[in-house]
Amino acid sequence: MTTLNADGSSKSKVLLTSILFMGLSHILYFKQYLKGALFALVEVLTLVLIPTFATKVYDMITLGEVDVTVPVMMRDNSIYMLIDGIMILAVIAILVSVYVISVRGALAEYSAFCARNGELNLKGSSLRSAVGKSFPIFGLAPAVLLIIFFVIVPLVFSAAVAFTNYSAPSHIPPSASVDWVGFENFKAMFGGESTWTGALGRVAIWTLIWGTLATLTCYAGGLIMAVVLNESKIKIKPVFRSIFILPYAVPAVVSMLVWKNLLNGSFGIVNRTLMELGLINNAIPWLSDVWLCRFVCVLVNLWAGFSYFMLLVMGNMTAISPDIYEAASIDGASKFYMFRKITLPLVLYQTTPLIIMSFTHNINNFGAIYFLTGGLPKVADSTITSAGGTDILVTWIYNLTVTLMKYNYASVLAIVIFVVMAPFAIWSFRRTKSYKEGEV
Amino acid sequence: MQKVSKVFTKILLWTFLIGTSLFVLYPLVYVVSAAFSPKQSIAQLSIVPFGDGFTLDRFKFLFNQTDYANWFKNTFIIAVSTTVLTVLVCALSAYVFSRFHFMLKKSMMMALLILQIFPSFVGMVAIYVILLRIDGLDTLWGLILVYLAGNIPYNCWMVKSYLDTIPKALDEAARIDGANHFRIFWTIILPIAKPIITFLAITSFTAPWMDFIFPKMVLRSSKMQTVALGLFSFVSDKKNYFTSFAAGSLIIAVPFIIFFVITQKMLITSLGGAAVKE
Repeated sequence: MTTLNADGSSKSKVLLTSILFMGLSHILYFKQYLKGALFALVEVLTLVLIPTFATKVYDMITLGEVDVTVPVMMRDNSIYMLIDGIMILAVIAILVSVYVISVRGALAEYSAFCARNGELNLKGSSLRSAVGKSFPIFGLAPAVLLIIFFVIVPLVFSAAVAFTNYSAPSHIPPSASVDWVGFENFKAMFGGESTWTGALGRVAIWTLIWGTLATLTCYAGGLIMAVVLNESKIKIKPVFRSIFILPYAVPAVVSMLVWKNLLNGSFGIVNRTLMELGLINNAIPWLSDVWLCRFVCVLVNLWAGFSYFMLLVMGNMTAISPDIYEAASIDGASKFYMFRKITLPLVLYQTTPLIIMSFTHNINNFGAIYFLTGGLPKVADSTITSAGGTDILVTWIYNLTVTLMKYNYASVLAIVIFVVMAPFAIWSFRRTKSYKEGEV
Repeated sequence: MQKVSKVFTKILLWTFLIGTSLFVLYPLVYVVSAAFSPKQSIAQLSIVPFGDGFTLDRFKFLFNQTDYANWFKNTFIIAVSTTVLTVLVCALSAYVFSRFHFMLKKSMMMALLILQIFPSFVGMVAIYVILLRIDGLDTLWGLILVYLAGNIPYNCWMVKSYLDTIPKALDEAARIDGANHFRIFWTIILPIAKPIITFLAITSFTAPWMDFIFPKMVLRSSKMQTVALGLFSFVSDKKNYFTSFAAGSLIIAVPFIIFFVITQKMLITSLGGAAVKE
């Protein structure tokens, strides 16, 4: 019973035992008692926990009922139920992976056994070798666990909320329950309720315009500064370079809040200075006129963001081999010609992926908008939707969550962002070296 | 004629550089002057920098009447712990991804990539509840966990791409000499990967100084707040302590500025390097 044929004919026997009970084949056939026992322990734990899993998943499907006669603390809390359910699903996924790993491990062990003509690999069963072999598992465990519980579970939760009615005023636990509503929220946002649809369209278009302008201005600004500094023969170049690095070194919270105060319409320094100088008679509504405010956002973002690209382009320029220039100058090329035909194309080529990355960063650039304008000025639908004239999708999500508690609509927006961003992420992924070399 | 055009270019260049410098320095000059001003709000400030005189009252106010010292300490603890843990976890996983072949590797790499496109605070309600469940609300370690987890996807990719460029022959030689995986990682891979590790350390150290959303959600009491939260409260709608805000900003911004200016050479090469390797 516990002996295997070395000609490969016992494969189904190994498969069957390992599927029957995790770790069984490791113990029975390969004398790997430690590994087998660990797998068996996982299986026992799983079996014990199955009733809990079932209740939690059932709760997630029903999301509970609120019995108003019960004290608040004792009532079903739909949100806890939903999060618990998702966490349990994550745990189940982990257990299934362990199961698959144990079965595949047993099969791999068997083929090694056949290859050795039926010799048991007893050396491989020692603790030290087991630890060595499972190094990938121990190495990845912290990262995987953290990502599952602090990144994936929250994201799945917020995606799930898009299909519920979790929102103020009438569906906030624990005083009321939350229910699954299917695609109701999507319908409301995409045509069902004209105020919300209008706001969504307005904010989405501004988000795209903002992302594009913010990226292009910063890139162009950084490129120009890097080129001017690199090509000019000024002695105090390092001084200027240090000045231009400053915005990158100042925390965004600080620089945006400073600009907000400087540009304040009534008491801001900018307006007061312009008035003292006699350049204007009335205060300029920097942050209270919708279009002017949007322009200011792009301009201030240029202030804050060009340094990063300047550093990047400088870095790329130093990486270009001097041999190329030498060869070009032997051929009699002028400085300007070399710049146009060598430096610029190479830098552009190297930094294109970073333009995409910066675009996705700006689409999600919470700080640049929230600290500078707070999404203001108000527009026609702001009172109902809480979306101001300069709000981009992420700041709107923040307002919906924190001020209006319309979690369901906020989740729909998060899904919209995902749909917009996913193609860019996949595109930049396919450009990476490891993908091209077929490693992943 | 040639000489005239040369002089003209020179004037143009200097005008451009000085003009841009003024634009860059403009808000910063007001921060510095406000930090030493005896006035309280921005409305009272003179439009001429340092036009109100010079006093250290703002700094005394910060340390005597607000929790600024505490906020600073909290932010520092968060930044240091996040940095150390991020470097360890990301480098270790990147090493595994770069050197081992195992089941689910491909799907895990893909998942990391997809995860990095979400703005991390999309799941903030869930993170709040999870922290509530494990007693992590209003604690620094709760916030550190959130930052650490959020840092992993992108940085794991970044470090992995770098490690892929280190020849595998190096660790194979060590393996023949009997070193185990952890030893190879610790004594061979980590030292070689120093440039990317330094870059990772800098970015994960500076990020918590500027973040706002997660501290606001996790840290509820005034004693537990971070610098960004505290500074924001000085210039939020109800108060206008612009000069105290400026003083507080100066204290955190100046070390950063000094650091960045000193390390600009290294910064330029590592940014350029990161771009090439991506």
